[in-house]
Amino acid sequence: MIESLLAGVDVALRVDTFIWISGGLLLGMLMGALPGFTTSMGMSVLVPISFLVGDPLIGIPFLIGVYKGGIYGGSVPAILISMPGTGASIATVFDGHALTKKGKSRKALEMSLFASAISDFLSDIFTLVMIIPVAAIVLGFGPPEIAAVMFLSLVIIAVTATGPVIKGLIMLCLGVWVGFVGADPFSAMARYSFGTSELYDGFHLIPILIGLFALPEIFNAVKEGDMPGARVASFVGERLRLDELKNSLRTIFRSTLIGTGIGVIPGLGQPIAAMMGYIAAKNSSEHPETYGEGELDGVAGAEAANNAVNGPTMVPLLTLGIPGDAVTALLLGAFMMQGLRPGPTLLTSSGDIVFGILIAMVLANILFVAIGYLTIPFFARVVTIKKSLLIPVTIMLAFAGTYLARGNPFDIVTLIGFGLIGIAARQAKFDVAPMVMGFILGRELEYSFGQTLALAGDNWLRFALTERLGMTAVVLATPIIGVLLGRRMSHFRQRALAREAGQAA
Amino acid sequence: MNRTLPLVFSSGRPVAFVALLWVLSIGPFAIETADAQFPEKPITLITPFAAGGSSDLTARVFTTYLSQYLGQPMLIKLVPGQAGQKGTLEATQAAPDGYTLVFMDNYRDQLHQYTFRNDYYDTNEDLVAVARINYGQIGIIVRTDGPYSSWDQLETEARENPGQLRLSHSGLWAALFVPAMQIMQNMDLRIRMVPYRGGGPAKAALMAGDVAFSMAFPATIAADIEANLIRVLATAGPERMLEGVPSFVEIGLPPSTGYIHRIIMAPTGVPADRLVILRQAFAQLQTDESYLAAMRRLGENTEYLDGADYEAVRIEQSREYRELVQAIAGQ
Repeated sequence: MIESLLAGVDVALRVDTFIWISGGLLLGMLMGALPGFTTSMGMSVLVPISFLVGDPLIGIPFLIGVYKGGIYGGSVPAILISMPGTGASIATVFDGHALTKKGKSRKALEMSLFASAISDFLSDIFTLVMIIPVAAIVLGFGPPEIAAVMFLSLVIIAVTATGPVIKGLIMLCLGVWVGFVGADPFSAMARYSFGTSELYDGFHLIPILIGLFALPEIFNAVKEGDMPGARVASFVGERLRLDELKNSLRTIFRSTLIGTGIGVIPGLGQPIAAMMGYIAAKNSSEHPETYGEGELDGVAGAEAANNAVNGPTMVPLLTLGIPGDAVTALLLGAFMMQGLRPGPTLLTSSGDIVFGILIAMVLANILFVAIGYLTIPFFARVVTIKKSLLIPVTIMLAFAGTYLARGNPFDIVTLIGFGLIGIAARQAKFDVAPMVMGFILGRELEYSFGQTLALAGDNWLRFALTERLGMTAVVLATPIIGVLLGRRMSHFRQRALAREAGQAA
Repeated sequence: MNRTLPLVFSSGRPVAFVALLWVLSIGPFAIETADAQFPEKPITLITPFAAGGSSDLTARVFTTYLSQYLGQPMLIKLVPGQAGQKGTLEATQAAPDGYTLVFMDNYRDQLHQYTFRNDYYDTNEDLVAVARINYGQIGIIVRTDGPYSSWDQLETEARENPGQLRLSHSGLWAALFVPAMQIMQNMDLRIRMVPYRGGGPAKAALMAGDVAFSMAFPATIAADIEANLIRVLATAGPERMLEGVPSFVEIGLPPSTGYIHRIIMAPTGVPADRLVILRQAFAQLQTDESYLAAMRRLGENTEYLDGADYEAVRIEQSREYRELVQAIAGQ
């Protein structure tokens, strides 16, 4: 084990490996920054390149670069134009775009970059060191445990949403219900599809994301009716100061822990990690009421958490040969094409190459900072474009990104529909985040709950009390956690109201 | 004649002369065989699967090597959704000009017409086979440290406890589900079927001990067999695939049970000469050493079959699947 680790250092320190990682990172950032072009789509297009290269220490680090760059790249449109290109950047919109509106887009982008790179670095080291002990834990998470974690997450999201708990719950339930539209995952019976073939497959995530987050923002900008020549900001804003980064280090470390834990379990993924990282940052803050109004810590909390997922998803892939999502499934293929067969024998048969790849993955984070830092001035300049030009381009990106995601014209209708819902929700002061998370997690919860019922059979009580104590414990703890968090949040809300009243008087 | 030729040259229009020659000599030939130039633009291959699945990967491998035989690149268009119906629908509605093909398997081609009825297309009428890329034979798998070391033991246990033994599969009427249903139907067993999202999670459920047994293509679990974590109890087909492991026929199943065929289809109505060109390109691919090596590394065989020959297989499958679904519905 130690020998193969050292041999891995030897094989990883190659100039061509670093050049290919850099190329992958840059491509990933550009693809991630393009709304509607998800990381898995980008990797799927680029995977044949790794087939043809024929060297595992070039082809696979290249794809890993695309993966890392893509998850970070998604934060760029989220911060600049309130358009989360993937589920992973939902939580980044809250404070990231608020910062842009305050003329601090550069600060937000740099915080996103540093938070992503630091957490990625730490979680990659964790992966490298803990790959063997962690592999044993992974299998302990079956559908019952995932269902319990999903349930807990939904409750946490509902009670911590901005505004009254009841509004959060309404939006959450609405999101879960929207997720039910389409064929049910077990018997393929159509639900709420009204006999149309378009609705039979249910709604797609990307038009919902862009509709709920970006279209209301565009609507507001148009409604304000700016003077000709007005800009979002006249300059890209200040750089991130070192003390600001230091202040957020606690949040970054916390989110790294959350993201790493979620990454180890196959089937949870970046959207839930980013949301939990954000909520944890908000909840442990001295002034949670300022979150959502342009808090750098909020960007750090979300972005550190979603990038921390990347490294640990390699654990089930490499040690058990089990891909947790589409991205790791593509990596599985890339490994096999290089003659490496992920699974229990991989570390003993080709330990040096695997550790070489993992070490290259750790070192890639240094390149990550460098390349990201160079691209930020270009991205940040977006806000200095005249609004009369920026708004049409944003509208075009919203529609093109939606169509690009899967080439289905019906998604344009979905986009407009959810755009109207988003505008109405903003007028009525409803937070749309619980709705999106309800949509994402509701489907997952339904599926894992259905699997749990299939596993349990007739005698579910015995199943819950003998076979699956972990699940039962989480389910029982959920209402208590929900009530405690809800109380804490309402305390802060009252304080914020009192402060506003004081200011008014 | 003596005068005319120098005239053309001396008039300073050699280009016109060459053009004239070209029109006279090659022109008619070129017009006559315009279709021999097919394909003159990239060909789209619709794959009705999500990014990252084993079918997506297989498609990325053969499209990478196929372009040199087609003379044009083959581009993959992922159209996932509705158990593959969405992509299939798009292919059946595309112009039958040979520029749109679809990547399918036998379950989506012949079985789903009985299980997921739709009013929009009929694979038998709307699609014609170009080539079968390869096939896979499924195996019944258990944990090596579990209680079952042979199919007989597992069968006895399942018979004594109807509906209690759990099996993990990769989705309704998909590659692991169908052979399990065929086993239940042929042997009159009742097994509790637990769905998972794909073959990977289904295997994880077996390794975690959440289910008693599962199904897998032996190539995808080679590492687990090597590490002595997973044992194969039987494999599809009339012949044995692995040493000491009985075939499905030996344990009393029909010889066609548990095969997945990966096939390329074109919309019906493709001009015959274009279909020939497409079929030939896939036939030539079978002589490409890099392609064969790439498929071997993925653990996939390259048992290619020409589209014309595969048409006969489809008819047989259709009959078999109809009987299976009728028998299940009749219970």
